[in-house]
Amino acid sequence: MMDEAGRIVASGLTKRFGAVTAVDDLSFAAGPGMVTGFLGPNGAGKTTTLRMLLGLVVPDAGTATICGRRYAALPEPGRVVGAVLEAPGFHPARSGRDHLRVYCTACGYPLRRADQVLEIVGLAGAGHRKVRGYSLGMRQRLALATALLGDPPVLVLDEPANGLDPEGIAWLRDLLRGHAVSGHTVLFSSHALPEVEQLADRVVIIYRGRLAGQGTLAELAGDGEAVSVRTPHTDQLITALAAAGARPERTGPESVRVTGMAAAEISRIARLQKIDLHELAAHRSQLEQVFLRLTTRPAGEEPAADHPRGDLA
Amino acid sequence: MMPLAGAEFRKLFTTRLWLWVLLASAAWATGYCALAIAFNTGNSGLMPPLSGAAGQHALLAIGPGGAGPLAGVLAAIGVTGEFRHRTAATTFLATPRRGRVVGAKLVTYLLAGGGLALASILASLMVVLPWLTAKGIPIFLAENGNLSVLAAVIASAAIFGVAGAGLGALAGGQLATVTGMLMYLYVAEPLISRISALHGWTAYLPGVAADGLTQATQPGVRFLTPWLGGVVFACWTAALAAAGTLRTVHRDIT
Repeated sequence: MMDEAGRIVASGLTKRFGAVTAVDDLSFAAGPGMVTGFLGPNGAGKTTTLRMLLGLVVPDAGTATICGRRYAALPEPGRVVGAVLEAPGFHPARSGRDHLRVYCTACGYPLRRADQVLEIVGLAGAGHRKVRGYSLGMRQRLALATALLGDPPVLVLDEPANGLDPEGIAWLRDLLRGHAVSGHTVLFSSHALPEVEQLADRVVIIYRGRLAGQGTLAELAGDGEAVSVRTPHTDQLITALAAAGARPERTGPESVRVTGMAAAEISRIARLQKIDLHELAAHRSQLEQVFLRLTTRPAGEEPAADHPRGDLA
Repeated sequence: MMPLAGAEFRKLFTTRLWLWVLLASAAWATGYCALAIAFNTGNSGLMPPLSGAAGQHALLAIGPGGAGPLAGVLAAIGVTGEFRHRTAATTFLATPRRGRVVGAKLVTYLLAGGGLALASILASLMVVLPWLTAKGIPIFLAENGNLSVLAAVIASAAIFGVAGAGLGALAGGQLATVTGMLMYLYVAEPLISRISALHGWTAYLPGVAADGLTQATQPGVRFLTPWLGGVVFACWTAALAAAGTLRTVHRDIT
């Protein structure tokens, strides 16, 4: 039991809605001490998967466990798992504080816990207002407050950054990071790669309901971003860039591939050294390449490809 | 179960809907009683004289009795609101044993229905007692079986609350549930119960059985006795509650 503490395990999860297989034999795990991003384009099956983890949707096959048990079999689920669902729902005529107090009562927490979590998510001043007056970002914060009520070690968040402004995303990153650093588990879904790159340590990529890849950001990103440069003065440039701490390598008589330095910095150094550049192109990170390759696979390539291409937009 | 019912009561009382329904029920109760007393000449044929037991029964059954269908509407809106506003997911995350959540809702609206009826009775008595006394018509709640009628009104509204919650859990859609329930009670059932070929069994329809319970009778329609009507109405309601619970336990919350 101990080694299952804080672990989320999906194995062989399958869910069909009519003729559409939303999730197809999906297995992955997320462990404590890190933030795991669950990445995939819209319609890939992320929400259905997370809802199966949380016992809201019954899988046609496979199992999902959190800390070794099905969600519904957890004795006090609110004290183990905090969840934020996609487009979280609130009664528009109920205040944020009352919303939280409803679930304090249902779970047997003291009512003052509602005020504490409002404080944590930065909504203390808005708690008495009806939810219909909340912005998208405030609703997202209220959903997170609801998830935090039971002070759970495991967080499962479906598109938590939706509706947050850059400041809100920075706040979310600190919150998730702090949760993971204190040895807890965070699994969050996103369709946006930059979000995952900003927030996650480890990524599970899903495409058309199937596992497309998983690993740490470093594993998936390889050497990081590479910049290719074309110049008649390759030797000079390589010397200058190496002296500045980059890792240049010659790839042709007039071309150099540089890792470990941004394109802007390369351009600045070349200008200072009066080296002509004929071309300067930043390559996408390998994670982005992996993601794009996986998610722009032509329709019909897979036997179960009953999603129209438009789904992937 | 107690914390869950507490949470359901908190849901009920943290929006204003209950207040509007209470005001509507009190307005119907007092309005109906005021009109009935003002226009009761004793031989209008629409209503027996208020000096007699039959007239007093009708007054007390129909006035505060409006609380019944309104309790059903309140419950149906409350339960379907969880799906309409997508709070059902949060509710079932807090309590994955969904049967217990539905059970707590049924208890909550049973009590809410009873409370609504009680409030409507008090409102109507504030009109009925002073006015009839002023008209020189003695009315005593403890006489003529009036107390039984008032108890039946409370029981009926409590059962209506459970029925509305069960129907809401079964149907899910808010507008469909509320309009469906009202159309059934006020259009379909009155039409069916006037088909003479069906006369033998229309008294067993849920709404007609509820009227049998409170003896809010109309001419030309056959009604059950209060006890039998109450049992039949409660059976219909239990079936709705069971079906609603099953549907809610097994549905995917997407």
